[in-house]
Amino acid sequence: MNIKLESATVYDPINKISNLKKDIYISDGKIVNRLQIKGKINKVINCRGKIVMPGAIDMHTHIGGGKVNIARMMLGEFHNEESLDSDSTAIMAPTTIKTGIKYIKMGYTSCFEPALLPINARQAHSEMADIPFIDKGGYALLGNDDFFLELLKKNASQSAINDYVAFTLHATQCIGIKVVNPGGINAFKFNQRALDVDEKSNFYDVTPRDIIKKLTRAIYELGVPHPLHVHCSNLGIPGNFLSTIETIKAAESLPIHLTHIQFQSYGNNGDKRFSSAAPEISNYLNKTKNLTCDVGQIMFGQTVTMSGDSMSQYKNHKHAHPNKWMCMDIECDAGCGVVPFKYDNKSFVNALQWAIGLEIFLLAKDPWKVFLTTDHPNGAPFTSYPHLIKLLMNRSFRNEMFLQLPKEAQEHSILKSIKREYTLDEICIMTRSAPARILGLKNKGSLGYGCDADITIYDKKRKDYEDFFANPAIVMKNGEIIVMNGKIKKYTWGKTQTIKPEYDRSIEKSLKKFFEKYHTMKLENYKISNDEMENLIGSEIIVNKCNGKRK
Amino acid sequence: MKSTNKRFITCPFCSLHCDDIEVEINSNKIKVLSEPIKNCTKKIEYFNISDKSNLKPFYKNKSLNYREAIIKSRTLLDKSQDITIVNHGTDVNGVRSILNFATHHNCTVDHINSKYLFKNLGIVQRKGYMATSLTEARNRCDVFLLFGKSILKKSPRLIDKVIFPEQSLCVKPKEKKLILIGEFDKKTIDILAKNYFVRNIKIKINDIPQLMELIQSKSIGKNDNIKAISNIISESKYLVASWSSSDLDVYENADDVISSISDFILMRNKENRAACMPISGSLADATSSQTMTWLTGYPSRVKFDGSKFIHDRNICDSEFIVENNHTDIVMHISTVGLEKIKLNKKVKNIVIGHPNTTYSSKPDIFIPVGIPGIDHKSILFRTDNVVSLSLDKIRCLNLPSVKNIINDLLMVQD
Ligand code: SF4
Ligand SMILES: [Zn+2]
Repeated sequence: MNIKLESATVYDPINKISNLKKDIYISDGKIVNRLQIKGKINKVINCRGKIVMPGAIDMHTHIGGGKVNIARMMLGEFHNEESLDSDSTAIMAPTTIKTGIKYIKMGYTSCFEPALLPINARQAHSEMADIPFIDKGGYALLGNDDFFLELLKKNASQSAINDYVAFTLHATQCIGIKVVNPGGINAFKFNQRALDVDEKSNFYDVTPRDIIKKLTRAIYELGVPHPLHVHCSNLGIPGNFLSTIETIKAAESLPIHLTHIQFQSYGNNGDKRFSSAAPEISNYLNKTKNLTCDVGQIMFGQTVTMSGDSMSQYKNHKHAHPNKWMCMDIECDAGCGVVPFKYDNKSFVNALQWAIGLEIFLLAKDPWKVFLTTDHPNGAPFTSYPHLIKLLMNRSFRNEMFLQLPKEAQEHSILKSIKREYTLDEICIMTRSAPARILGLKNKGSLGYGCDADITIYDKKRKDYEDFFANPAIVMKNGEIIVMNGKIKKYTWGKTQTIKPEYDRSIEKSLKKFFEKYHTMKLENYKISNDEMENLIGSEIIVNKCNGKRK
Repeated sequence: MKSTNKRFITCPFCSLHCDDIEVEINSNKIKVLSEPIKNCTKKIEYFNISDKSNLKPFYKNKSLNYREAIIKSRTLLDKSQDITIVNHGTDVNGVRSILNFATHHNCTVDHINSKYLFKNLGIVQRKGYMATSLTEARNRCDVFLLFGKSILKKSPRLIDKVIFPEQSLCVKPKEKKLILIGEFDKKTIDILAKNYFVRNIKIKINDIPQLMELIQSKSIGKNDNIKAISNIISESKYLVASWSSSDLDVYENADDVISSISDFILMRNKENRAACMPISGSLADATSSQTMTWLTGYPSRVKFDGSKFIHDRNICDSEFIVENNHTDIVMHISTVGLEKIKLNKKVKNIVIGHPNTTYSSKPDIFIPVGIPGIDHKSILFRTDNVVSLSLDKIRCLNLPSVKNIINDLLMVQD
């Protein structure tokens, strides 16, 4: 099948194309040079008056796995959304089918589940296999598992740690590694209720700094493109920006990605002992080369927080709204906590959280280093992205919203004074080009030749940016038209993006022993094979390229 | 496949899904070698094929070939206005296909053990809940509270896998303590007490809430046994409470019983660590509830209404529907169950069942189906819901899976 997108206004930052009128050719699901097309063009899509971008990529969204299912079960009473195109499940905990429909209609074509517990990988992939249209992938959680902490305690070599990290990527079919509250989830199992960056865990005698240091190095040396994805210590605690900066330093100049940094940018000034440290954090981001982040913007309204961070979620249960919650210790692997929450725009703290997120977006100079997320559904459901984009692109709209916040919150934020308005180019970078680059997805986030024809076509007539981004005219996945004028035209199933760095298999010997001694399943059953992915779980895999081993 | 071989299998027959069961397979006959798990051996070997097994579909009293059975079933199903599907246990792909079928034919879908599931779920849907999983309990738990009466008969390996393992990361196995609370029989207690630290509080199940209150209040009075046990509990560092809600469900107040245990665990967490770990039923209950939840938003009891799944605990209660003839055809799906399937003769019945399925009366149509992890590869969820296992195929009887059968039912053109 050969398709021509005619006279499109193209934004494609990876190829340094901005606001340029051109034609795009697609053949067999890939973007090609016109001269590469064999046979005739089967379909011409008139793109006059349209803006064309690569399909968007959500690099941090909780779309599959045990904790999502807990939220779905827990929040049955919210499953009453009127929606013509999908089921009635609440958008904070939608079914897999609804997840796919809502994402593709917004022009998103790839999404990444950031908290995939290795022991729960089979479930997470099974769920994600049931999300239609989009490609997906996961980051495997390490850093709280007893095997890893034992390695650190015993002063295992960096190469043993590298092998374990690589093994985990293979066994769980993931594309990256995440650490959540390094060591803290584990320490909570031993009844520690907090763990600062340089505090030792009682049982393993290991600090979060040790964990970050070893894992960032492992990922760098293995050549895994995505830096260690870090949910820092002390999430949500006033004054935590200092430990956030310490966490960055723990990477010792190797690449590190801090997730939902909004929740990590709190000061403790003022009479309420809660203040914005967005300027400090953005400053640090601007001058630190090895650092990227996603924001985790909050929006006002009901949502549900779900996290591997059982230590902090247990603390948060006091704020549950409605008043129910669940936390779990999981398999000497990690943990999880699900706590429903309502962000209230009359609350000083929530209002300031909202402002802090926006301050970070606007003070961070380089859109290649900061990604647009709400940490779905923790800050807000992903369907609020178009609204968030409008807040970034339209200062007067932003200030209008800001003025509705409680006076005391306004006094604590510099948001109103920030003049910056994001450009279409910058939005395109932070939602497409930059996530593709940081994940090592060579065929995504770009309209270059050979790339997957995952394409979003927007209508210039929609002048309001929220409307513009919420309602693309056409969304294509692998060269097929999936959405046309807001209607789903066809059901397709995306693939799972993985990475498989080389490693020394002898690490499996000690793992096997560990499993036999302590686990309730065999190592062999813990691993997910390619065959299982395709034939039982139901998703084809794509193996992305590593950068090659480095020292 | 070799006609004779020894290997390890993952057992599909209760929610622990042990994957360390050594078996020998000889001409498709499974012999369990692992010892000592007598109850388990019996269970697994029950599924071997004998003269009584049904390897061929039948309609009324006539045997049919597979394709005829599919066509016949589809004809019956097409006539119905109100199909009810009762899941007596199938794997992830089985549940996926049941739901797919339900969307095409507007069916009601329920799992036979839903009522127990909703008892446990009730807490999560109403208040706080602290949970743990098998490996976590094995390695961190120092005091294990087991409530009920027959949980150890249903999931025998709980003892050696979780409560008293040979090796444990943080607690010396010898220092682990088990406290039985409820109506456990003396024999079970005596056998356990020979080897392990076991204490027992004999108490009617519906008195458990009062007991939990008493232990919490610490003003126990004269009962030395309860006092001693209460001391053990208060010294615990990682307390685990476990039950099987089918065990507790014999009384009106099962909800209160579970709540009282869960509340006690929450209270302990204020100062120490403690967690619940309920044991789910043996009919792939967790597999059903997990898969249904991600596909419909609800763990069980849904009906497709032409555009979406709706959930109603009462209206979609299959037991009620079937008993009261609120349906004209019931499709029973059973791949791992031992128990007799109850059929209502007043409605049409299609049973998609493993070859040794038994029923209270003869169904209209029977189609033999493979057992997950025995006749085909499959994924099943363990009782703690966070772990799912991938099971292999170990014998060759050419039995289709639930997924195969339902796909054929959907595709067939008569
Ligand atoms: S305890 Fe359950 S899963 Fe384990 S062998 Fe026995 S019946 Fe099978
Ligand atoms: Zn997150």
